[in-house]
Amino acid sequence: METSRGTRRLAAVDRAARALGLFPGQKAADALAYVPDLVTAEAEPEADAQALGALVDWCVRFSPAVAPDPPDGLFLDVTGLAHLWGGEAALTADFRRRLARNGLPVVCGVADTPGAAWALARHGDGAGLCPPGRQGQVLDPLPPSALRISEAACAQLERLGLRKVSEVRRLPRSQLAQRFGLELITRLDQALGEAPEALAFRRPPNPWFDRLILAEPISTPEDLARVCGDIVERLCARLSAEGQGARRFELAYHRVDGRPQTVEVGLAVGAREAARITRLFLPRLDQVDPGFGVEQVTLAAFEVEALSARQAALAPEPVGQSAVEIAPLVDRLANRLGAERVWTSQAVESHVPERAVARRAPFSPEPPARWDPARPRPIRLFRRPEPIEATAPVPDDPPVQFRWRGQLHRVRLAEGPERIAEEWWKAPIEAASTTHVRDYYRVEDQAGARFWIFRAGLYEAGAPARWWLHGLFG
Amino acid sequence: MAGFCSGRPEQERILTVKPGSTSAERALDAVRAKIAALETGGRGESESLPFGDPRIDRCFPGGRGLPLRRWHEVGGEGMETETAAAPAAFAALMALPLLRKRPAVWITRRDDLHAPGLAGLGFPAGALIEVWARDEAQALAAAEDALAASGVGVVFVEAQACDLTAGRRLQLACEKGQATGFLIARRPFGGGAAGAAQGSAAASRWSIAPAPSAPMAGRPGLGAPRWRATLERCRGGRPGAWLFESPAAYDDTEIQDGTHPLRLVADLGDRQLAPTQPAARPASPAVPFPAGGQGAPRRRRA
Repeated sequence: METSRGTRRLAAVDRAARALGLFPGQKAADALAYVPDLVTAEAEPEADAQALGALVDWCVRFSPAVAPDPPDGLFLDVTGLAHLWGGEAALTADFRRRLARNGLPVVCGVADTPGAAWALARHGDGAGLCPPGRQGQVLDPLPPSALRISEAACAQLERLGLRKVSEVRRLPRSQLAQRFGLELITRLDQALGEAPEALAFRRPPNPWFDRLILAEPISTPEDLARVCGDIVERLCARLSAEGQGARRFELAYHRVDGRPQTVEVGLAVGAREAARITRLFLPRLDQVDPGFGVEQVTLAAFEVEALSARQAALAPEPVGQSAVEIAPLVDRLANRLGAERVWTSQAVESHVPERAVARRAPFSPEPPARWDPARPRPIRLFRRPEPIEATAPVPDDPPVQFRWRGQLHRVRLAEGPERIAEEWWKAPIEAASTTHVRDYYRVEDQAGARFWIFRAGLYEAGAPARWWLHGLFG
Repeated sequence: MAGFCSGRPEQERILTVKPGSTSAERALDAVRAKIAALETGGRGESESLPFGDPRIDRCFPGGRGLPLRRWHEVGGEGMETETAAAPAAFAALMALPLLRKRPAVWITRRDDLHAPGLAGLGFPAGALIEVWARDEAQALAAAEDALAASGVGVVFVEAQACDLTAGRRLQLACEKGQATGFLIARRPFGGGAAGAAQGSAAASRWSIAPAPSAPMAGRPGLGAPRWRATLERCRGGRPGAWLFESPAAYDDTEIQDGTHPLRLVADLGDRQLAPTQPAARPASPAVPFPAGGQGAPRRRRA
């Protein structure tokens, strides 16, 4: 039940209600008058849309190109795939059977054009198959509402006594266009295949996609691993034949109950070596729950890029070109430890020590920024500076001794200060203050250990200076 | 015998580097080469990285400097067992000449390695692959993987300890790939002291401590960083202790190709150095091995 323009109306009815003469769009009060013990539920369009989305995802098992047709339909591009099921009739029968098993009654139509298929599904006699190139004959006996036109246009056609598509088609096009706008003409042409129609497929069809349909559902880990190897080999053979490599692979095990189990691996540089990619997948297959069995496996490659044929280097290559050689190692480590645990540091133009380093994925392009070698930075930088008890008798001078982790260090040599202030231009000017200033000193103790210490804030008479240790030079 | 055959070219090389040696020395060298070939398990290949100073190089097998495609343990004492700053800096500098050809991997357990600090030492930190392992086992497994991978030049791994089995695994991985490993011994903050290493598969074990620097006359502040490095153990070589300096650190001048970034400090005024250090004896640079047996006892695998 839904509320439209202040009136409670039926949004949808089930089979039993339809048999009693109820129809969608009927006023709730009328419906209740007809059937006093009518059970109603509030319409949930969002949930419907979500369910449609899930259904579209599920339909990928039939075709890689699936377009939702809200609120209650979807298009499957079955061009060139019907033979896999043994014909269009078998395909729709399988489709219908699988959905019926999940409690979803559907009507389908198969035609050369989305428009004709739509008309067949919604207004056809139930068989739902249109022979190739015969859209006209199939559409002719259907009512004009089968043309996917607005309700207003539909009602107007009815008023004019046009009750079949054939009658509409017989009228001169110019008059139709004048009277009903371009919509009718366009829809008619699209249904007949005389005008192109673009469908918004939920997932853009990925040409780097392969599937294995298994004769028997499999569930043992060995079988999962074997089909993984098989399908990777198939897709990689294609990638190799076309000189391409991919940086991300998504492997999906489609279970008997229709729930796909996906595993993904990423690579630092494009690859197409089947053995290597399989090795990356294998440790992750234990995440796959085969349930009652897996009947289909699909593999998609993403971020596909041209990759020229390579030969193992004869001579050691300079740093930078060796990326291809180390990439397998980086991939193994990143997939085992997590991608965020393998990185290369890059310079960032910032004086604040903590911000001078950013992490980037290995082999990603290096930014032009450089660390200034003339500004000594410690080899170990603590994430949080550690407080130290420092004795600095002379203001604005490095301490003569300090205690860190319970140990006293006498300063023998010191260098500084290097004053590092907050980057006030990155925040509102009111927030800037002189307390966010650090005077860094590089000091060496009697034993030769070198530390990076700083005093927080400017020197103020009376207030004890706060000293921190931020890093260690080895 | 495979070991003997593949050891032969080395023997030739040793003979050619010292034309002035006597026949007795030559015979001794032949025996040494044979022993070296046996010690490497028949793998005659022994690339090495010379420090460029015979006083150091002669402590290593064959007198040719740090053996490559092996792994070396670098540790510290006192505070350094926790922070491992000096061992890390020293290991980075030791490996620096190797990084011109192949990139390096640095495996840590704590993410306090600061790339600008490495860059300040002249290390190509922009090409370093950093790996942050969750625990010791993961760190060692990653190190093994990295050492065995082709294309990696140097692998640094920060780990607490490495028992004999793990050490052998690292060694086998080194032989599989082309990389040289540096295990930077480091215990977790607040963690118990690492048990004394009972036997190790490392090709050498170093103990690194920072040493007071000598500021340049007329310039305030700190001098070039210095380290007191003790070669505690060296497979097929002898222990030693030296004072090193990195003159090019925190300097924007490029290090010339070919010179080692670590330089032996000429003035050995430091009394704390181990008495067995070879540099204290009159050095005879032309002879990689001292003729007599008066030095430190040679260690050899049984």
